[in-house]
Amino acid sequence: MRRFPLWSWFWFLLGTLYFFLPLLGTLNFSLRIRRDVLSLDAYNNALTDPEFIRTFVFSNQMAVMTILVSILLIVPTAYWAHLRLPQVRPALDFITLMPFVIPAIILVFGLIKTYSRPLTVFGLPVVPPLTNTVFSTNILLIFGYTVLCLPYMYRSVDNGLRAMDVRTLTEAAQILGAGWPTILFRIILPNLRTALLSGALLTFSIVVGELTLATFLARPAFGPYLALLGNHKPYEPFALSLISFALTWVAMGIIQFVTRGSGQGQLAGGH
Amino acid sequence: MAYLELENVRKEFNNSVAVENFNLKVERGEFVSFLGPSGCGKTTTLRMIAGFELPTSGAITINGVDMTDTPPNKRNVGMVFQAYALFPNMTVADNIGFGLKIAKRPADEIKKRVKEMLDLIHLPVKGDSYPYQLSGGQQQRVALARALAFQPQVLLLDEPLSALDAKIRVELRSEIRRIQQQLGITTIYVTHDQEEALSISDRIVVMSAGKMEQVGTPFEIYNFPQTSFTASFVGQLNLLPVTVSDAEGRRCAFNGRALAVGQPIRFANGASVRLALRPEELNLGGASGDSQRNELTGAVESVNFLGSVVRIRVDVGGATISIDLFNERQLVLPKAGEQVTVNFPAESCWVME
Ligand SMILES: Nc1ncnc2c1ncn2[C@@H]1O[C@H](COP(=O)(O)OP(=O)(O)OP(=O)(O)O)[C@@H](O)[C@H]1O
Ligand SMILES: [Mg+2]
Repeated sequence: MRRFPLWSWFWFLLGTLYFFLPLLGTLNFSLRIRRDVLSLDAYNNALTDPEFIRTFVFSNQMAVMTILVSILLIVPTAYWAHLRLPQVRPALDFITLMPFVIPAIILVFGLIKTYSRPLTVFGLPVVPPLTNTVFSTNILLIFGYTVLCLPYMYRSVDNGLRAMDVRTLTEAAQILGAGWPTILFRIILPNLRTALLSGALLTFSIVVGELTLATFLARPAFGPYLALLGNHKPYEPFALSLISFALTWVAMGIIQFVTRGSGQGQLAGGH
Repeated sequence: MAYLELENVRKEFNNSVAVENFNLKVERGEFVSFLGPSGCGKTTTLRMIAGFELPTSGAITINGVDMTDTPPNKRNVGMVFQAYALFPNMTVADNIGFGLKIAKRPADEIKKRVKEMLDLIHLPVKGDSYPYQLSGGQQQRVALARALAFQPQVLLLDEPLSALDAKIRVELRSEIRRIQQQLGITTIYVTHDQEEALSISDRIVVMSAGKMEQVGTPFEIYNFPQTSFTASFVGQLNLLPVTVSDAEGRRCAFNGRALAVGQPIRFANGASVRLALRPEELNLGGASGDSQRNELTGAVESVNFLGSVVRIRVDVGGATISIDLFNERQLVLPKAGEQVTVNFPAESCWVME
């Protein structure tokens, strides 16, 4: 007879408590805005604050743009590296890990320093300072986010490409008459579905909560709003952090569900 | 002019030669195999016909049109890969119809053609399945249908069966041949399996180290090999070290024993050469005075039962030869260590370096 795996259960429970007790504490606290009764008032207040809606929508827009830019930048690059330039793949791996090494604060100061002056060619200004207008600052923010999320998006795409036989599939499509756009949009992208989805959801949860870039570029994003709220409201920030936590969980759940549901490991997975 | 022509084709990779002096004319509807050991340039040559590699020099024409520099997607050539390479995101029907869709053919025509192809490969009900739901053999059939659906001028297959197990391999190769003959499509088939090449080809190109060794029908390649490479690569071959004793009279000596040779000897008297002989030409027993048969004696090393044939290895003093006997119930097999006499007809052996 198999022995009851006592120690396994012990460590499992300990881990669960370590993880969930703070959450429970937060939940409990967030429900106590009214003396002696549990209520959802904190959630109500937080969600109906017009500032909340404005910043949340803004961050979501930025996240969607970041995802689009990342995909357009990374998929063709990683595909070409797999197909024709396998020798540059170690370099790509290294570059895309840089955001883990370089703090966001350094990235944002670098961006501001570079783009708050006009870009010049032979001393002639060709692009005005990007920090001059709201629109161009948003562009700067999106590209900053793209850099921050490189490790996640690139790794997902790279794993997805690894899981399929890029070269043979490309050649099979070519010999059937397909040109590059057809190969990319009808063969490579569809087979990267799950990889792209997991990259996108990770990017999404990072961008929506990001603080540093948005603060220093002075954009009305959700991260700074949350930080500000924490400074002068007691209960609402906890309600909001639980909500964003739940959103992250939902995103991870979707990743899990799709990678599992896509069946028999046939579609290139994200992790 | 032949349908598919390769003229003086040469391919170098970073200054090392992969294929050279490749000259081949393939007639319309012909089935030609490239046969040779690993690394001899079969795939490289096939990929040049497909357009995935550009020849360093030389020319490739299909149906009178120079294709040497045409990109693969403009060549109208079908290809089947060793790893199937079906598109995992598409159903079987979409895979088969892909080439037609690229060519912007009307939907109902594609549908009709896909159905025809599914019938041709005997998988009429698998149209809505995904590749991962099929066995390896079924996937390769679909890959074949996909390569044929858009009616290419030439069909190329690169070791299409080597990922499958033995039984399916034999089944599928005759299926490929049947379909090829039914459609009359000009086909190049790459393999390193000599049995495969011998059994399905109209002609075989034997290759070694980037060069063509011999081109001929399976019958010619097997029975009249022109180089020692072809002779030893295709089929089993016994090689006896012999000395030419009388070139004019077609005689050699092995361990002091005179052997008659059927073919002319192109070596001087006294030259050290090798006598080549297929295992199935040998028989147990003496020559019983027949001057057109040769005799050898030796000790049996091993007796191997291979199903339809029995292979006996005999040490004839300085060399071991194999003898293949058809398995018959009344066969009396010698035991290992037993002393035996074997004989073979003079016209079945030939001399080479
Ligand atoms: N892309 C390449 N770059 C450099 N060398 C190559 C390349 N492709 C093939 N070669 C070389 O060319 C030679 C012929 O290779 P090829 O793949 O044509 O052999 P093959 O006959 O198909 O062998 P196999 O039976 O193993 O598939 C080999 O020496 C190989 O190393
Ligand atoms: Mg090969």
